Amino acid sequence: MPAVANVVEQLLNGVTLGMVYVLLAAGLSIIFGVMDVINFSHGELFALGAYFALTLVDPLGATIGFPVALVLAPLAVGVVGAAIERFTVRPLYGRNPLYHILLTFGLVLIINDVIRFTWGQQQQQLAVPAALSQPVGAFGVRVALYNLFMIAVAAVLAAGTWLALNRTRYGMIVRAGSQDREMVRNVGIDIDRYYTLVFGFGAALAAVGGIVLGGAQNVNPNMGGSVIIPAFIIVVLGGLGSFRGAVFGGLLVGIIQTMTRTYLPVFEGLTIFLLMIAVLLVKPQGLFGNPEWGGGGEEDGELLVGAYGGVFTAGTRRRLGVLAVAALAVFPVVATVTDNGFYVTLANTMFVWALFALSLDFVMGSAGLVSLGHAMFFGVGAYTGALALLHLAPSFLVALVAAVLVPAGLAWVVGSLSIRVSGVYFAMITLAFAELLYSAVFKFEFTGGSDGLLGFDALLGLGGVGPRLSEIELTVAGLTVGSSVVFYYVALALSVGTLLVARRFMTAPFGSVLQSIGESDERAAFVGYDVTGYKRRAFVISGAIAGLAGGLLAVNPDTFVVSPDQTLHWINSGEVIVMTLLGGMGTLFGPMLGAGVFIGAEDVLSSHTDQWRMIIGAVFVVFVLFVPRGLVSIPALVARRFNAEGGDPPLGVDEEVNADD
Amino acid sequence: MRDPERRLSETRSHTRRRFLALAGATGAVGLAGCGGDGGDGGDGDSGDGGDGGSTDGSPSDLGTATVGVVNPITGAYSSLGPGQRNGAKLAVSQINGSDQYDLELDAVFEDTGTEAGAAQQSAQKLVQEDGARYLFGAISSSVALSLNEFAGQEEFVYFPGGAAVPITGSACNEWVFRVETNTAQVAEAISAYTVNNLGTNVWFHIADYAYGDSVYNRTKSRMQDANDEFTEVDVTRSELGSSNYGSFITQIGNSEADAVVLGMTGGDLINFVNQAAEEGLKDQVDLVGPTMSFLVVRGATKQNAVGTFGGVRYTVALETGDNGQFVDAFESEYDGTPDNFERVGYDSLRLIAKGMQEAGSTDPADARDALEGGTFTTVLGDVTLREGDHQATNPTWMSEMVEGEGDVATVDLLAQTEGEDALPPASDVDCEMG
Repeated sequence: MPAVANVVEQLLNGVTLGMVYVLLAAGLSIIFGVMDVINFSHGELFALGAYFALTLVDPLGATIGFPVALVLAPLAVGVVGAAIERFTVRPLYGRNPLYHILLTFGLVLIINDVIRFTWGQQQQQLAVPAALSQPVGAFGVRVALYNLFMIAVAAVLAAGTWLALNRTRYGMIVRAGSQDREMVRNVGIDIDRYYTLVFGFGAALAAVGGIVLGGAQNVNPNMGGSVIIPAFIIVVLGGLGSFRGAVFGGLLVGIIQTMTRTYLPVFEGLTIFLLMIAVLLVKPQGLFGNPEWGGGGEEDGELLVGAYGGVFTAGTRRRLGVLAVAALAVFPVVATVTDNGFYVTLANTMFVWALFALSLDFVMGSAGLVSLGHAMFFGVGAYTGALALLHLAPSFLVALVAAVLVPAGLAWVVGSLSIRVSGVYFAMITLAFAELLYSAVFKFEFTGGSDGLLGFDALLGLGGVGPRLSEIELTVAGLTVGSSVVFYYVALALSVGTLLVARRFMTAPFGSVLQSIGESDERAAFVGYDVTGYKRRAFVISGAIAGLAGGLLAVNPDTFVVSPDQTLHWINSGEVIVMTLLGGMGTLFGPMLGAGVFIGAEDVLSSHTDQWRMIIGAVFVVFVLFVPRGLVSIPALVARRFNAEGGDPPLGVDEEVNADD
Repeated sequence: MRDPERRLSETRSHTRRRFLALAGATGAVGLAGCGGDGGDGGDGDSGDGGDGGSTDGSPSDLGTATVGVVNPITGAYSSLGPGQRNGAKLAVSQINGSDQYDLELDAVFEDTGTEAGAAQQSAQKLVQEDGARYLFGAISSSVALSLNEFAGQEEFVYFPGGAAVPITGSACNEWVFRVETNTAQVAEAISAYTVNNLGTNVWFHIADYAYGDSVYNRTKSRMQDANDEFTEVDVTRSELGSSNYGSFITQIGNSEADAVVLGMTGGDLINFVNQAAEEGLKDQVDLVGPTMSFLVVRGATKQNAVGTFGGVRYTVALETGDNGQFVDAFESEYDGTPDNFERVGYDSLRLIAKGMQEAGSTDPADARDALEGGTFTTVLGDVTLREGDHQATNPTWMSEMVEGEGDVATVDLLAQTEGEDALPPASDVDCEMG
């Protein structure tokens, strides 16, 4: 077989995959361009297309069912997309794009659970007409006919979309809207009416992608999640909001993925993230993006911080804090007496996540740095902790110190590079770094590859002296205190201590500068502050705290494995943002509370229903829409309800919290 | 292509259902278990007895033992997990309804996904909250390896479902017993046949995790021993849970390979075989999969599997041990045909109960001592849990998938490897107990 034919076949493989990406990314990019919405649920709409097709093909048979599905299923998904825009996304216009990320993250949980509930967990085969499922060959090149069919379908749709955008009045308005929404409004066009249409159209395009890919591979509940990160990369590479960019980026990523897999397998999974980072650093607006366009998210609505100190006086707050710590201190005793030792283990998990959430809030709540890759510091902390226990010294202190230092160093490097870009681009570049690390741990022997790290155990001491944390068992006043309880108090002390230190930072001039940066970069710079320097320092501290959380995970006596998915996967970055918002951004303690509630709710719900993700997703959507300042703002919201007649609105709660904004 | 969403579902998916196994036909008459000997000193669940009594009216004097069952209900192995669970459930209901056992099993269930971090949470919950002192399950070898570690730490008896050699090899410990057939045993059946009958130029494509590595290492070394002409053309790896194999298929098709050994299973293997058939790879090379004969794989690949070769850990037509009874019981309970994972679930739970029965105690340490080196009648005949590594001495087979009655291919057994021949001596497997 000549090498040329081999390369051609691989190129065709790459183009096939690339064309599916084009269908996915085109909608994503147009939606962002027109409405500034980063739609995380786009992958689930892609999957929904394939599932609707499955429902049609099963009774009708492949020959008739498949073509019918290719038309009807995208229309149905288009309707779903339009409904999503109308009922959930619309109330959020004008808010920071972060809220769209959060909202659509909640929608991911809901749609995904609906899919699991309706069609089951197992992967299924979407039958395609027999005429299409055979190999064809010419000039020594051999390729599946279905691949050519996929390329053709995607090409026709992409061309059609291009024509619609460039040759119709609708397209012209949409393009104008993606460049300057205000201008379109000012000339008297109600651009909002077009949003529903654009969202539905984007969803339908994704659905076609899901169907054609489902026919080639299979249909499974995870297919949406597996394409959403590549789709983001494509949109960023091509330029947010640019259709041409989506086409070019889709093909580029498809080809690069296929070619590295074939010719440079060591770099598989790394190249596209490196490319994404490089593009963001050199040309943040993407290869085809226009820096003049509004799509940067930088000048958009503010982040709503929690109603810190809304109704309670400083003294009350302090008393509540002391009370909370006291309650936490007696909790293990109660749990042990009542034979509920498992809840101590669960609480230990909450501490780990509470610290992780605190770390994110440190940069997001103050300086407005929305990191979509915070799991990298958490994960590197966990890996460093476990590696230190395995190779350096089996001491939990050594492990924790290493778990703080290494992520702090990493945060300095990542921060130095990433802080040059802001807003959505910052979120995307941190995501790229995190994914780079996630891919990397699979490749190294010393990180244990996909198996993760096993066989580490922490001593409660230094230099090899001291009891094993996992074997500690004391008897205090007739109660047997196990290792989980000992760890509980270590984690409690570290959590409270870290919170106090973080608060100290925030009440110091350092914190004030960060907050002023969060309000306006430019203003802070005009006043003479080194904005980049401050942001970087905050980022390093945040990385260190996230590392501490990861380190705690590693030294936790109930942890017997540190694996890639458990620590470095992007879903962890997403969840920690959810926790932060749930609790109340910018309050430091709110996100810690949010973490506890999230982990607790998950445990309780999963014990009672299979559809617990759907419930969490729905609660989350409700929070984004109606309680954007989080749990900590509830007392203030309640108080305001009571004071509605004549009373002064409590501090820190403004009209924006209203459901109707 | 990475499958992040795979993790979304698995990271924290632990659907729990306490399975209340009913006592058998003659019925429980509410005889309280007498509290057992409570010997495990664990979380106190072992001795609390159930309402169930044994069928002849004599008390279940060993009491009730809680058994945790963890299976992948989500993720790449979601097609295999339910079978493993059903096999375990069948065993529990038979044991609780039988007068051969002086004990009852209380089974609690969790989902592992395919990822060790998620499995960790599930297993912790079963052991710490539900008080399970016996654990069965997992299909991913990575998950099984991490649960090995957990079993060693917490000192409970664990029957893993993964097939990678290290589970009862370099990562073995005194608490782990494996009824699942491992890759060394299957490699023994397929390696010599492949290299002597299908061709000496062999390509390996594996899923990049513990099981894939194990298939590669073991099959390659047995092929080298079987034929001097054996040549490894290349080895490629894809991530566990991948969906897109196009570029690998192109590479393999354009090489000199006579056969490709697929070190992958479940959804991964199904995707590979279907895509390979569409791209015409089957006309160019022989596909050999250590797990190609799995019913789930044949069911999802249909005609695409015809003409491929595979190792056999179990097939419904076997006349070994008490397979006939197992197949009948399974078919009447579940309205389907059992396969390997059902077999593993069934025999693992039975051996857990037999271990306790033989020890006369529900204490995991006693049961462990009784299981070690013991010979038991299973679906695959009389097998021994070897003293040196706790691996069951299962027989294995080489097979070809041929046209079946419906559109699902049938397993045609080509050659059998006896249990004692399928495993290297326990002294050679690099297992140090303790």
